Amino acid sequence: MKILVCLKQIPDPEVAPRDFRLDENNLIADPASAGLVTNIFCENALETALQLKEAAGGEITVLTFGPAEAEDVLRKALAVRADHAVHVINPGLLHPGSSGAACVLSAAIRKLGSFDLLMFGREAGDWGEGQTAGLVAEHLGLPFVAFVDSLQTTESGLHIVGQTDSGREELTAAGPVVVSITNSDANVPRIPKTRDIMMAHRRDITTWSLEDIDLTEDLVREAAGSVEVTELFIPEKDTTCEFITGDSADERIDAFARRIVDVIGSI
Amino acid sequence: METATREVYWNISHHWVMYVLLVPTMAVALYGVWRHVQRWRAGKPVVRFDRPVMRLKRLIRFGLLQISLWRDPLTGLLHAMLFWGFITLTAATTVVMIHEDLNIPLMQGRFYLYFQSLFVDVLGLLAIVGTLLAGLQRWVLRPRRLVFSGEASCLLLLVFTILVTGYLLEGWRIAVTDDPWGHWSPVGRVVADVSAAFVSDAGLRTAHVVVWWFHLVLVFGFIAWAPYTKMRHVLTAPLNIFTADLDSRAGTLKPLDFETAASFGVNSLEQFTWKELLDLDACTECGRCTDACPAASAGKSLSPRDIILDLQHQLHEADVSVLSAASKAASDPDSGPALPIIDTRPALSPESLWQCTTCAACVEACPVSIEQFPKILDMRRYLVMEEASLPPMLAEAVTSLEQRGHPFRGAQASRTDWTDGLDIPHFRDVEDPEVLLWVGCGGALVDRNQSSTRALARLLQKAGVRFGILGRDETCTGDPARRIGHEFLFDAMARSNVERLESAGVRTVVTSCPHCFHTFRNEYPQFGAHLEVFHYTTYLARLIGEGRLVIDPAVTESITLHDPCYLGRHNGITQAPRDLVGRVTGRPLKEMRQHGAQSFCCGGGGGMSFLEEEADTRVNIERARQVVETGADTVAVACPFCTTMLEDGLGAVSEERSVAVKDIAELLWDSVSSDSSDGDASTDHIDSSDD
Ligand code: SF4
Ligand code: SF4
Repeated sequence: MKILVCLKQIPDPEVAPRDFRLDENNLIADPASAGLVTNIFCENALETALQLKEAAGGEITVLTFGPAEAEDVLRKALAVRADHAVHVINPGLLHPGSSGAACVLSAAIRKLGSFDLLMFGREAGDWGEGQTAGLVAEHLGLPFVAFVDSLQTTESGLHIVGQTDSGREELTAAGPVVVSITNSDANVPRIPKTRDIMMAHRRDITTWSLEDIDLTEDLVREAAGSVEVTELFIPEKDTTCEFITGDSADERIDAFARRIVDVIGSI
Repeated sequence: METATREVYWNISHHWVMYVLLVPTMAVALYGVWRHVQRWRAGKPVVRFDRPVMRLKRLIRFGLLQISLWRDPLTGLLHAMLFWGFITLTAATTVVMIHEDLNIPLMQGRFYLYFQSLFVDVLGLLAIVGTLLAGLQRWVLRPRRLVFSGEASCLLLLVFTILVTGYLLEGWRIAVTDDPWGHWSPVGRVVADVSAAFVSDAGLRTAHVVVWWFHLVLVFGFIAWAPYTKMRHVLTAPLNIFTADLDSRAGTLKPLDFETAASFGVNSLEQFTWKELLDLDACTECGRCTDACPAASAGKSLSPRDIILDLQHQLHEADVSVLSAASKAASDPDSGPALPIIDTRPALSPESLWQCTTCAACVEACPVSIEQFPKILDMRRYLVMEEASLPPMLAEAVTSLEQRGHPFRGAQASRTDWTDGLDIPHFRDVEDPEVLLWVGCGGALVDRNQSSTRALARLLQKAGVRFGILGRDETCTGDPARRIGHEFLFDAMARSNVERLESAGVRTVVTSCPHCFHTFRNEYPQFGAHLEVFHYTTYLARLIGEGRLVIDPAVTESITLHDPCYLGRHNGITQAPRDLVGRVTGRPLKEMRQHGAQSFCCGGGGGMSFLEEEADTRVNIERARQVVETGADTVAVACPFCTTMLEDGLGAVSEERSVAVKDIAELLWDSVSSDSSDGDASTDHIDSSDD
């Protein structure tokens, strides 16, 4: 089976809140304020892909669209034994958004050839839009299943289990399909073996510019154009602590319940 | 007057048979020894015969005087009796050989009377008492630490029988020959008198012949069998003590050369060095290591003794030719483990290996200088680096270290939160800095410890020390990565830290955490660091000594002290923390049952603070009980990990009595601020009961 996993590099969502800053001019996260990591849901997708490969054989290609530093997410993927890595360099577009990214990724995927399974994380920890996978499916004319947490190869095709608002859905896909992966106990990302980390540094990564996949900055900007970032701020988080007092437990419970009703009423 | 002596074989004819029997005896014994040597030789090379004088001194301390045995007085006594008895009897036998076989008349005159008769007689008796005490211990007291094997019982009975028959022979000879110097052998004399009262001379002569040959067969049997039993430690223990690592403390782990190492860590016998294989054969099965092990004491499955013994069994079962072949092929990384060890026996299960806090109590306790936990670390390295297999919470800590430079997944604090309102400069902004205050992840990112760090910084300010911090530029030293077994990550972190400190012009570092201290002091030199390193307790003691910091006794609560493993045992610093606590109370502290170099771990070292422990086998609860036992109001600590582990443990045993946990810096600051007009009095100590 030929599997493609798209990976995104994002500012570390676990950065200490006090350390996190914005670049007010460019309306992005200040790159100096947080380390860069692989989006966790992308790692879940890669882990699912690795398990599929271990169970059923195949080849995994990882693909990212990002600045030069994003090479790091590909090296990490090679270190857990992805087979090929492709890096489409972002020449400096600040807000490609889901639409711009989908445009770039689809063009790269077309150039790479066909895949049986195309995997994405369910959303990225920076902007959290969760649109890219669906948009890529649209571009490529492939079926799309969102919020998948388990995949298995069966006689009749790929058995897909996903989460929905009302429960779980099980599907079987015969042909190529795009899925977005959510986290589950079964796809906690593994840590690489040291020898593989060392090898990963020596492996080749295919690097393409936008032109290499028949795109230009303007085309991507145009594709991204439907969404514009007009303002960016860190939401104020205000926590107050309140002790409910009272002479007896009954009184305290009573006061507590009243207080909750107040709070709910005020929202 | 006639010269005192005795005839050696007075009643024994055909004693040449003895020499005939000696040949197969020695052949069997030497074959046993040779097999061991062959196995050790399969290990990787390491230099351990350099600096003979230093080594000899060690041998005298630990091998001859056996100082570590005396920690348990009964064992110290019985082993000393057996040991000196054994040495004396061997010496006496050698004298007989020289006298009789080389025809050099040694056995006469005063030497014969004082040494060969009186001294040997008394020491032999002590040896018998020693075997009786050993029997008492083995069959009556039965301490958990011993291995109750048939072999051990047989050996004890054998030695006892050899000693007793020796006295019978001596006594009967004295009786029959009416030895004029018989009273120089008081025990022999008693045996002679008692025997003569019941048996005729002729009867004694016959019995003597029979028992003489019986005694001989037992002695030869013992000699031939010894190398195949734990008695081999008679040879291997002194050799092991002699070849111990002189350069580094046990807790100082060795770096790996990732370009050339065939295996990252150890999962096959031939991947150990010859010294590590010798370690396995030096074990006396005494069980002191497991007795001292906090994980074992808390009821976990880890047992350093059984790790050594299980590895020893693996070694003995390994085909020598396979072992040698594996050792030749060992430089090939693709060859894989030829004689796998991890998970092959109960004590070698990954589960047990992941319980070690790297506290080094085992190494400290071992009378024959065996290094147990470095082997555990070698196996962990294999699990982490070759198999990427480690408990999920440790994997998270490793990932966090790699991505964020600290091991606390989900930490909300920033590196400088604790400085709020304190005006602590970055190191680069300090003019003519004296020291860098290395805060460490535990001191900066864990809420509870921020008040300890604040107290320390205020003390330094009060003493007028020109210091700065690295703030957001500080990252973990890599200690957790190294102790978990991720040497590759540690290697990278160490190199980048050494470079960062070098380029910042740092010469002297004061750390708040003993783990950082240990890493800087003992391990960064492996990566080219030349730093003067202090743990804050020694640094503050020095400031007080220089009169820069004045502390008057102002704390009235009674205090006990928990020695952090990486300060006390690993680095021998036990006095400075006591001096500091003494300063604030003006009284000696209440010591815990296990303290100083014998301190009991809080359970947090070796990455274990990142793991969820089983509720009924938590190490910190064991330690918390020892704290409560002292009756002290407060336990003083000097390590951020100990602080949180103990607070947690004491919380769990609080129904017994509530005891506060305070960092020594907090105690000092309490003391300083309560008797001065500093205004800013409180250490804003966060009391755990407020949660
Ligand atoms: S280092 Fe400590 S925890 Fe580990 S085996 Fe030795 S005594 Fe036990
Ligand atoms: S390793 Fe040392 S302390 Fe442990 S049982 Fe063996 S000899 Fe005793």
